[in-house]
Amino acid sequence: MSEQSHKDKLADVLAAGINRRSFMKLMGSGAGLAAGSAIMGGSLVQSAMAAAPKRGGTIKLAWIDAVDTLDPHFTASLGSVKIINNVFNGLLKVAYDGQKVSFVPDLAETWEMPDDKTHVFKLRKGVKFHNGDPCDATAVKWSLERVKDPAVGSPHAWKFETLAGIDIVDESTIRMRFSKPYAFLPVALTGSTGRAGTIVSKRAVEQHGKAFGRNPVGTGPFKFAGWRENESITLERNPDYFEPGLPYLDGVQILLIKEPTAAVAAMMSGQVDGMSLSPFQFIPQLKANKNLKVYGEVEGNYSFVGMNNRRAPFDDPMMRKAVAAAIDRNVIVKQGYFDEAIPAYSCISPPMTGFYDKNIGKSGRGQRFDLKKAMEYRKQSKYQGEVNPVYIVAQGFTGSGGSGTRNSQLILPMLEKIGIKPKIELLDRAVWTKRRNGGDFDMYDEAWIADLDPDETIYPEWHSGKPWNFVGYSNKEFDKLLSEAQDTLNQATRKKLYDRAEDLLMADAPLAVLAHMKVFKILNKRVQGFQYIPVDLLNLHSVWLA
Amino acid sequence: MFQAASAKLAQTLLVLLIVSAASFAFLKLAPGDPVGIMLGSDYSKTSYDQLTHELGLDRPVVQQYGNWLADFVRGDWGTSYITNQDIFELAVMQALPVTLTLAALSLLIALVIGIPTGVMAALYRNSWADVLATTLAIGGNAFPSFYLGILLIWLFGVDLGWFPVLGFVAPWEDFWLGMWHLVLPAVTLGAWYVGLIARITRSSLLEVLGQPYILAARARGEPGWRVVWVHGMRNVLMPLVTVIGLQLGGMLRGAVMTEVVFALPGLGMMVTTAVLNREYIVVQAGIMLTGLLFVAVNLAVDQTYQFLDPRLRRR
Repeated sequence: MSEQSHKDKLADVLAAGINRRSFMKLMGSGAGLAAGSAIMGGSLVQSAMAAAPKRGGTIKLAWIDAVDTLDPHFTASLGSVKIINNVFNGLLKVAYDGQKVSFVPDLAETWEMPDDKTHVFKLRKGVKFHNGDPCDATAVKWSLERVKDPAVGSPHAWKFETLAGIDIVDESTIRMRFSKPYAFLPVALTGSTGRAGTIVSKRAVEQHGKAFGRNPVGTGPFKFAGWRENESITLERNPDYFEPGLPYLDGVQILLIKEPTAAVAAMMSGQVDGMSLSPFQFIPQLKANKNLKVYGEVEGNYSFVGMNNRRAPFDDPMMRKAVAAAIDRNVIVKQGYFDEAIPAYSCISPPMTGFYDKNIGKSGRGQRFDLKKAMEYRKQSKYQGEVNPVYIVAQGFTGSGGSGTRNSQLILPMLEKIGIKPKIELLDRAVWTKRRNGGDFDMYDEAWIADLDPDETIYPEWHSGKPWNFVGYSNKEFDKLLSEAQDTLNQATRKKLYDRAEDLLMADAPLAVLAHMKVFKILNKRVQGFQYIPVDLLNLHSVWLA
Repeated sequence: MFQAASAKLAQTLLVLLIVSAASFAFLKLAPGDPVGIMLGSDYSKTSYDQLTHELGLDRPVVQQYGNWLADFVRGDWGTSYITNQDIFELAVMQALPVTLTLAALSLLIALVIGIPTGVMAALYRNSWADVLATTLAIGGNAFPSFYLGILLIWLFGVDLGWFPVLGFVAPWEDFWLGMWHLVLPAVTLGAWYVGLIARITRSSLLEVLGQPYILAARARGEPGWRVVWVHGMRNVLMPLVTVIGLQLGGMLRGAVMTEVVFALPGLGMMVTTAVLNREYIVVQAGIMLTGLLFVAVNLAVDQTYQFLDPRLRRR
């Protein structure tokens, strides 16, 4: 797949980070736990431990994001991933110490790289699937190969495209051989964002076939217990879970809810213990309720208005620059995101530590509101007089990181000041996707979310001819800088390259960036021990009810 | 007799056929497709084409319709693209009972409130009670059910905390818990009907109370309650049953909104989810089931006439 080359390079960087921290050489599961908690910032774990967790109880959660399937190798929804992460394990998992996201072993106990193309994983011993089958080297090999097998048709198959083979070294050790150095691997092997390395039970897959996604069998802290269509999903405690003493809860009841207002009402009245996500407009109300705790930080994302470079009027860079300068991001942050976001000046977001320019607001780099300049650009543009571009907006609270419709309404009067009167078309998501993918728009709202590396956040989106470059932006120099950054392992040099690339991108303005947003989990205060991870996860293994 | 029945049956089937063809065509005309939604953003052209082919969506639309219809009449309603669940099971065994329960309870609430309101309004015509009843009736009819639902949720669910605000508990598994969960949704959906029923009751009763036989009954010295509730209401039932039957469509429309607001896994919720995911065959199943329901209710209404009006009974 075309996506491969850049992921390779990214991989080198990530892999370099992993070796430096050398957290893979862990002996035994007990040591693994201790070391794991050290990485995760002992304070977090210890504070949870100090409160003497109570066993038992069922947590009731309102799930307002869509759940498509619980087959990790097929899901396309973060609403599913959050559940999958409680039922399955990856070879690795994502951890967060309050500062930095990292990858720590999950089903793997140690991870070694004899050379840059070979990865050796020693697995935890004695781990069992929920159906009693052992999760040994044979099982892991089969699961990984399932993702790659073209006959299976997993949409994540490309993540293992350069996987040359898997050897079983002994019953608890596997060796993955790649044809090229593959730095995206840590991301791919986690049970959450990558999904390709999530280990599923062979017998269950063969037993249920296509219906495996409705009958998932993994190794995680909770077993799948039932799914009532459009109603609820229930999980129950896995007594054989490999982290001793965990999980604390007896069960999890996930209520599938379409109307967020109803979920918020249930949350406020204490009828549910938590919410998987919340639209921005409810956050002030939820925060004001003293029984609730709102978890959420600015995650790796950016929302923007994309402008179609292929046709008038936004084939003229001056028009695009005018739009980018006419939008007051502070208003968007206040009224579009209810202050639960920060203004964006470029694409790279704060969690990408080492790449995010903390002074970008003052440095003069990136895009910013300047009405005078916007008017100047507009004067210099090819298209004088009033223009009426078509602005497509996706309905629903997931649009543009949660504020597509509101943003468009806020942007409308801003653009009117420079003689641009967009015609807003409010579409349902299926139609919007089709129009966006077909380039049938002048302006569109979008947000790229849950990214962990600058390459991920810019390259497939804005490099010439890449799949998510829906606006048809092309700048050879920009492309070259991105490729160079992929080849560069030195972080300081790499950052400089991204700075230059972003300066070009922001000046050409195929997009007007808007904001970096928080992503929320709401829990009742009686829910204890929750460890927030800023990649939209709701892991329940450490959670208990007071 | 047999001829009449078979003509009726043929007519019904034709209606259902037209409904199925029209809905199939409209769904196909709606832009967007299920494959893109199923695959999310991480997919290749190959997997897109592969899945399109697997689902049979690369075939001509007429052929797709033909295949679907042939399977449908044989009772094979297909499996959902996304959930892999048997659609007959999903629609008939799971969603339909929820919607029927909700509709029945709403109707019950509407009758219990609507009829006395209408009777009051008719008996004390143009008094303050009439104005109040009429205002309430029209208000209930005019208020959008999703908005009323949200108001009820906030007042009775959050502020007062009397009722659960979402979820469904099957009354046949736990009757009182199920009823408790259904109170707010049923009131929401029923409010719309209350107005309708009260208005019909009022106008029909006014008409009936002016009839000579009522005067005769009063002259015979029958008690007032008997005159109104036995002699009067008997003749109000006909128009009432007719209107209730005809307005079933409105009830089902309201059920869609109500189910979404209160997270009830009924037909409305099923169809809403399926429309958003462009799951053509699930939507199709929902529409057919609604069509069948509509036809069945109309048949039932036809039958009740014979009980309500002895003159219509066949000899």
